[in-house]
Amino acid sequence: MRWQFGQTRSQAAERGEGAYPLPADAAHPSSVAASGAPIVEMRGITKRFGPVVANNHVDLTLREGEIHAVLGENGAGKTTLMNILSGMYQPDAGTILIRGRETKIATPADALRQGIGTVYQHFTLVPNLTVIENVALGAEPGFLLDLAAAERRLAQLLTDFELNASPHTEIRHLSLGQRQRVEIIKVLSRGSRVLLLDEPTSVLTPVEVEGLFAILRRLRANGVAVVLITHKLEEVLDVSDRVTILRQGRKIGEIGPEVISSGDRAAIRQRIVEMMFGGAPAEAPSASARASGAANGSTLLALQDVTALGDRGEVAVRGLSLELRAGEVFGIAGVDGNGQKELGEVIAGQRHVTRGRVILDGQDITNKGVAACSRLGIGYVTDDRLGEGCVPGMSVAENTVLKMVTRSPFSKGFWLNRGAIEAEARRLIGQFDVKTPSTATPITALSGGNIQKLLLARELAMNPRLLVCNKPTNGLDLKTAQFVLRTLREQADAGKAVLLISSELDELMQVSDRIGVIYNGQIVGIFERAAADLEAIGHLMLGGRERGVA
Amino acid sequence: MSGRERLRHAAVPFAVSLLAVFLACLGGGLFLELRGKDALHAYQVLIERGLGNPGQRTETLKQMAPLLIISGGLAIALRAGVWNIGIDGQFFVGALLCGIVVPELAGDVPRAIVILIGAIAGLVGGLLWAVVPGILRVRWGLNEIITTLMMNYVALNVTSWLVKGPVRDPERVAPETKQIPLSDRLPDIPGTSVHIGLLAGLLVVVLVGVLFRSTVLGYMFTALGRNRRAAIHAGLPVGRLTLLALLLSGAFAGLAGANDVMGVQGRFSGNWHPEYGFTAFALVYLARLNPFAIIPFAFFFSFLMVGGQSMPRRADVPTYYIGMLEGLMLIFFAATVALERLWSRATRRAPEDAPLAIGAASAAAPVSAESDAGDGAVSAPQNTALSAGETR
Ligand SMILES: Nc1ncnc2c1ncn2[C@@H]1O[C@H](COP(=O)(O)OP(=O)(O)OP(=O)(O)O)[C@@H](O)[C@H]1O
Ligand SMILES: [Mg+2]
Repeated sequence: MRWQFGQTRSQAAERGEGAYPLPADAAHPSSVAASGAPIVEMRGITKRFGPVVANNHVDLTLREGEIHAVLGENGAGKTTLMNILSGMYQPDAGTILIRGRETKIATPADALRQGIGTVYQHFTLVPNLTVIENVALGAEPGFLLDLAAAERRLAQLLTDFELNASPHTEIRHLSLGQRQRVEIIKVLSRGSRVLLLDEPTSVLTPVEVEGLFAILRRLRANGVAVVLITHKLEEVLDVSDRVTILRQGRKIGEIGPEVISSGDRAAIRQRIVEMMFGGAPAEAPSASARASGAANGSTLLALQDVTALGDRGEVAVRGLSLELRAGEVFGIAGVDGNGQKELGEVIAGQRHVTRGRVILDGQDITNKGVAACSRLGIGYVTDDRLGEGCVPGMSVAENTVLKMVTRSPFSKGFWLNRGAIEAEARRLIGQFDVKTPSTATPITALSGGNIQKLLLARELAMNPRLLVCNKPTNGLDLKTAQFVLRTLREQADAGKAVLLISSELDELMQVSDRIGVIYNGQIVGIFERAAADLEAIGHLMLGGRERGVA
Repeated sequence: MSGRERLRHAAVPFAVSLLAVFLACLGGGLFLELRGKDALHAYQVLIERGLGNPGQRTETLKQMAPLLIISGGLAIALRAGVWNIGIDGQFFVGALLCGIVVPELAGDVPRAIVILIGAIAGLVGGLLWAVVPGILRVRWGLNEIITTLMMNYVALNVTSWLVKGPVRDPERVAPETKQIPLSDRLPDIPGTSVHIGLLAGLLVVVLVGVLFRSTVLGYMFTALGRNRRAAIHAGLPVGRLTLLALLLSGAFAGLAGANDVMGVQGRFSGNWHPEYGFTAFALVYLARLNPFAIIPFAFFFSFLMVGGQSMPRRADVPTYYIGMLEGLMLIFFAATVALERLWSRATRRAPEDAPLAIGAASAAAPVSAESDAGDGAVSAPQNTALSAGETR
């Protein structure tokens, strides 16, 4: 048990609260895992945003040494509940008890002092500071940072969490998975006994997810209470001891460790899904998602020997060639960071091509820029929905037309047509079931999944011939994810071409006609779906050599 | 959004700005007291000399004109995330160009035409002075904070050299351009003794307000300023927008120069060094980049400038006192905005929807001129507009 460094420093420990001492040995995780004493009890929590009741009399108890999954469809109120626990919001009604004592959590800093640490979906690290500086920032007593001392104390924590990077690396050079670990380390180093993770796995590769879960299990063994929000049920069944399900702001039910550990995954899964959606879930591959007319479609897009650099000047796309046919969904499988994001950006005209050509329907569009590509009928749904997908501080309606504001009817020459913008936003919100109080709501008030839906809706509204989607189901609940996949399939069936970049093989297998595996900036294998072999794909994704059937 | 909520949305930021102003005055007063001065008396003098009698009120109203014109332009730049620190230089060049052109025409053409040409001269002068930093920024990703600042010094030296030599009124010894005859200066607003520059200023501010509310260009400026990466992603013409924002704010600064030459000074003089740049920054920030809020703040700052002129003599306060007050306002503004965010977070709303605040501004201070222009298409988040080139 080595990462108790933070704990010894924590104020809770200084107050000498009896419940805190950690087990001396972490060798027997499962023995502690069964429900410990409650650390946090939320009772009757209610939170309204205007007309929306985001949380409606929700109870939630977090126990020592337990991983507690909070599930629910997009907009069910999961993030809001966590924001209340982490001091971001004040509840309109309800109480929070910490170790049996009623407590007010005024600010995030306050939450941290009470031992509640949060890893936000959008990281809070300072990109230009090193790992050690970030972790020490605000944690060390006193005004000046004593980095040397901080480093000594953190060294153990860093090795324990297998950061695999020097503590002197600047954050911006780390992968998302590594950054997340730094976030966790940072929070734990302040002595958190409750760890809140809001969709932590959505940015991770499967291997990184495994790594994260290993960390969570170790924390559990040390008596930390972990809250895990995710839309991936398999993950839930893998690690959690207890599940709470929210629907439309209400707590629908809770499934305890007795049931979870009973082992009948299919039955539990079914039950969870029913509780989440209050009825039969959209079942996976439907007939329409299987249609195929790809074989005889003509080539719509051709990449010829394309090379492009990544953000840090490294070669991200390496002499890549690829042909996309009208009428097909072409899946790109690969471990994050192998150039798939840059590939999408090249096609969208958003990234400079240093060598090679991009040809759309016979026309050379190499380095024509985003606006030209968009006008020629290329749509691109980015995976970075807050970073570049939308403009914070602008409303839902304004964000809806971000890409088409210069087009009719949203503007007439110099003038905006606010009426048309409003109408379009309404139409898309209705069509894609985006949950928002109104079109005038700031985009950042929408739940993650609803922003994602809006980004896709906005792209489809421009009726592109070719749609590039990077992780379009990221952060979507099961039902909505299926809706999105179906929509992509329909686009292809209507004669469009879809390039679907995803790290989830399941969804690629479900809707793609062909799957290309990207590794180190190159397509290392292309599989027809019928002939696709998960094992071979997985092997290639990790850099294995043999070529697939083209 | 309900009416009440909308009101709250508008009222809270305004109240925060007022609080900052109040705290700054309080802090400034404390400073005076600590130095053994009579703060109450000093403020009395300020109010008397700024608003005390009709003459002073006229002065205050006149002084609003350049503040309004400059702030309108600056609001465009800042909304688009472009840091035009070169207001003073652009002002000078516009003023000088106007001072050169107008006396040549005076007497031969109708006054309206003279004034129109003078205004155009001011606009062009200010715009030209913003061209170089604009191109450096868009083509090579050079930080406009640095380049516009440098251009201020160049402007000061170039105009003072010109007015000592080539464009000096040969009949005078002082470094001055020819005098504009009274009959060709800006006329007064009928029924007042305030020249029409005030109307021009109000017009500029209203136009900028319309720009943001109702035009595609204003929408694109705002999107660019709030999230540069999103603007790139959406295919907005980021480079051209950046350049245009800088040019427009430069042109308006130049127009303000023309206003002062034709409305107040009557000529461009080498001994005349108004410095509106910092005041305009404070003003536009307190107005939260909202054009309509600029109007009351312009009135207030104008009052400070006019009333403040008498303070050193009559109340024995340091000459830099008003400048210090403006600085304090910005500091308190930053602090109150931070508090407001905390408060709004604690009560109801997500922090992101707080209007653009100087918090971002101070964070964006020119600490690093690191350029990420290499691949603008994928540059880091850039509310700060420190650098970054065109999309590709
Ligand atoms: N600051 C806010 N202002 C207005 N409405 C908000 C705000 N925050 C959340 N909401 C609304 O509250 C509801 C719940 O949102 P929340 O973010 O908690 O959902 P979620 O369960 O986390 O969804 P997701 O799975 O999509 O992340 C949504 O309808 C959302 O629009
Ligand atoms: Mg959420």
